[in-house]
Amino acid sequence: MAYRTLAAGLALAAFAAPADARPVSYAGGWTLMQDNNGDYSSVHVHYSPTATDSIGFYAERNQDLDIQFTGLQYNRLVRRWNAPASQGNLYVKAGAGAADPFGPEGATLGTFAGLAADWETRRVFFSYDVRGRDFGDRQSVAHAARAGFAPYLAEFGGLHTWAMLQVENHPGSDTPTRVTPLIRLFQGNLLVELGYTLEEDEALFNLAYRF
Amino acid sequence: MKIFAPALLALALAASPAIAAPEAPTTTTEAPRGDIVIANVNGLVCDFCAQSIRKLFGNEAAIADVAVDLDNGKVTLALKPGKAMDDAAIEKLIRRAGYSLVSIDRGAPK
Repeated sequence: MAYRTLAAGLALAAFAAPADARPVSYAGGWTLMQDNNGDYSSVHVHYSPTATDSIGFYAERNQDLDIQFTGLQYNRLVRRWNAPASQGNLYVKAGAGAADPFGPEGATLGTFAGLAADWETRRVFFSYDVRGRDFGDRQSVAHAARAGFAPYLAEFGGLHTWAMLQVENHPGSDTPTRVTPLIRLFQGNLLVELGYTLEEDEALFNLAYRF
Repeated sequence: MKIFAPALLALALAASPAIAAPEAPTTTTEAPRGDIVIANVNGLVCDFCAQSIRKLFGNEAAIADVAVDLDNGKVTLALKPGKAMDDAAIEKLIRRAGYSLVSIDRGAPK
């Protein structure tokens, strides 16, 4: 198990939750993130002791792998590029906890790791992330890339709207390529995403709240 | 998905007032103000992330008001009368919020 976990971590060396809100907040900030899609539903509550780190609880009910994961997740902002009219970010993420299969099997050690990158201006947004899971005898890798644009520029504190297109790749899956048009809305400390995955006939609903 | 749906709806409903009645981009608009300080900041493109600036400066005793200008990359700080905040303290908070300070302009009291 240890060898497999280490090998998976090194080989995948890059994962992240499908591209929603950024996983590290300001120093002293808390964030609630929830993702729901055709494969899984997850909750991540984390605290950022610095502007480059966060750690917190992560739980995922994965219908694709038929397993429930409950554990801790650590996120690290590896690099940020602040420019006059843009910002880019590179994150790594990792987690460990109990992977409990649906059914009579007992829980085992589960791990995951990921990498995420994004770049945005006031008008356009691009991101890529990859996540690998090693939940006992069940493994998966998922890539997701996004492109988005803001149809209007809202003021600080106003309602911001983004139209985005997410393209995923799930090697080994029955449906390896998936396309999800989505709308991202945020105002103040609340961010919501609503989408629909065409190939899976599944809704996407993501939420993030900073406090 | 089905498992989390009720919790999801509850969270969305609980959070909905933030959309219906947005917080003003300032903190204590009624308070008397002292000096005005403008911080020119790089990376200021995302409102959701820039809320950190309002939170961090809003917690400072010297600050009466905070305004963020995403279009021009400026953070305008209204100090309370008789209060001061030096450049190092401003730069530290900008960095803790995740941004890069370019320069600071200090204006006259209102």
